[in-house]
Amino acid sequence: MADIEDFRSSVDPYGFKRTENFDYDCYEQFMSKYLSVLARRRSKWERILGMKANGHVVRSNKIKRYVRKGIPSVFRAQVWMEVSGAEYHRRSNPGLYEAMRIACHDKDLIEVIVTDLDRTFPDNIYFQAETSSEKYAKRQSLFNVLIALGQKNQKVGYCQGLNFIAGLLLIVVKDEEKVFWLMDTLINDLLPDYYSRDMLGVQTDQEVLGELVKERMPDVTRMLDAVGVAWALVSTKWFICLYCDVLPTETVLRLWDCIFYEGSKVLFRVGITLVKHNRAKILNCRSFPEVVNIFKESTNDKFVINCHQFIQAIFSEPGSLSRSHIDELREQCQQRVVDNKHH
Amino acid sequence: MSYAYLFKYIIIGDTGVGKSCLLLQFTDKRFQPVHDLTIGVEFGARMITIDGKQIKLQIWDTAGQESFRSITRSYYRGAAGALLVYDITRRDTFNHLTTWLEDARQHSSSNMVIMLIGNKSDLEARRDVKKEEGEAFAREHGLIFMETSAKTAANVEEAFINTAKEIYQKIQDGVFDINNEANGIKIGPQHSLTNPGMSSSSGGGNQSSGCC
Repeated sequence: MADIEDFRSSVDPYGFKRTENFDYDCYEQFMSKYLSVLARRRSKWERILGMKANGHVVRSNKIKRYVRKGIPSVFRAQVWMEVSGAEYHRRSNPGLYEAMRIACHDKDLIEVIVTDLDRTFPDNIYFQAETSSEKYAKRQSLFNVLIALGQKNQKVGYCQGLNFIAGLLLIVVKDEEKVFWLMDTLINDLLPDYYSRDMLGVQTDQEVLGELVKERMPDVTRMLDAVGVAWALVSTKWFICLYCDVLPTETVLRLWDCIFYEGSKVLFRVGITLVKHNRAKILNCRSFPEVVNIFKESTNDKFVINCHQFIQAIFSEPGSLSRSHIDELREQCQQRVVDNKHH
Repeated sequence: MSYAYLFKYIIIGDTGVGKSCLLLQFTDKRFQPVHDLTIGVEFGARMITIDGKQIKLQIWDTAGQESFRSITRSYYRGAAGALLVYDITRRDTFNHLTTWLEDARQHSSSNMVIMLIGNKSDLEARRDVKKEEGEAFAREHGLIFMETSAKTAANVEEAFINTAKEIYQKIQDGVFDINNEANGIKIGPQHSLTNPGMSSSSGGGNQSSGCC
């Protein structure tokens, strides 16, 4: 998508209207360099995928490295499906998507999903209500995918936030059934219990992020405590939407490349990196609104627009983040969340 | 801009009742028929005048879906006022008020002023909840009540400002301990004797810039 793009267009390559304060100069400067990166990555991926007649991508350290450097948009859907395990689920359950889609008769579920169709990317050309051309018909697909997911995962039903993830996946992947399986894999395999009725997983991971920041930047933690900014205020959408509708679209997709390969740990890396990059600004704040503003602005500045550099940064700046340490923190934090609830 | 007091508000109620639209109408004086749904919490702010005193309202607009309750509960702490919103065209949203009220009372200061709002009063033809029912519920539970329209702006100013008046009255009556920030009230920087550094007014301003 990006290689045929008009850098000055008011709509980005994925159909999103750019905000009024979008920094075109900064973006153009970045893209003029990024194009050569994309071309190089594409030829590397072509070589790898070209060797396999069946299109399978087997997980390996090489593929992991390649994924971190970015999957070219033409191969994104295929590689996401393969490395996440979604393709395996799809092939093991032929016809399940169709069956789930038509099986749902839950009136409440249908009503709440319909209400949110209007409120999913209203500024995106593919989701606007007034357009009738087929090009814009993503709303029906969004409804289908969310209904089928709710039917299959009855413990989750429909949780707000899933609409944004499914919406962006539909724009990129384009195939309803594949989007359904990618979502199902996220919910059941890659993310810990984010969309259940009490969102225990999200509450836990917000606390974990807090601990990880505290280990690295205790001064930031002291500042947040002093002005009364809790992680639940600034990071709820980060976790629930996997930074979709938070970070710039291209950056989100580069991040999702990594999530589909590596899982939820990457979400912490992004959070820590955003805080680290804005540490001086945060420490300069004197009030609650100032801190909240810094967090808001941090997701839309030069640093995050340059997705290539940003993704490199998330794997270097936070330092080591071992699986066992995360598991340990998750256990502690989950206990804390549960205790608080009964308090 | 300096202010005498800062009040924290929280807007609660079922998903889709118009919480974000009420906030936008109050802070920016406009109505946005289509907008992204709120995940977690968004912030707004505006300065108002009561009894000749400048008061800054810092408003927390919350997600309404039930799964978010466990997260939004932590937002009540330190709120001086709450706008509890239902949609007059959807009875469900009215039926859920008791649960919302229980949640609010359990997680906030007992002095928090609660304004019950029946929103979408412009959709008279689709009305599903009578005004008298809203009034009765409010009377029974000791709330202030108003019907509003975020679309036409009817009663929106009044809803936010009357809540502030009630809080202000409670301060005058000595019900609120204004030195205890858990009550959701802060004394403005020029009045503060204790900790001037922590309550800067920068970033305030009369109209919202998307944040508080």
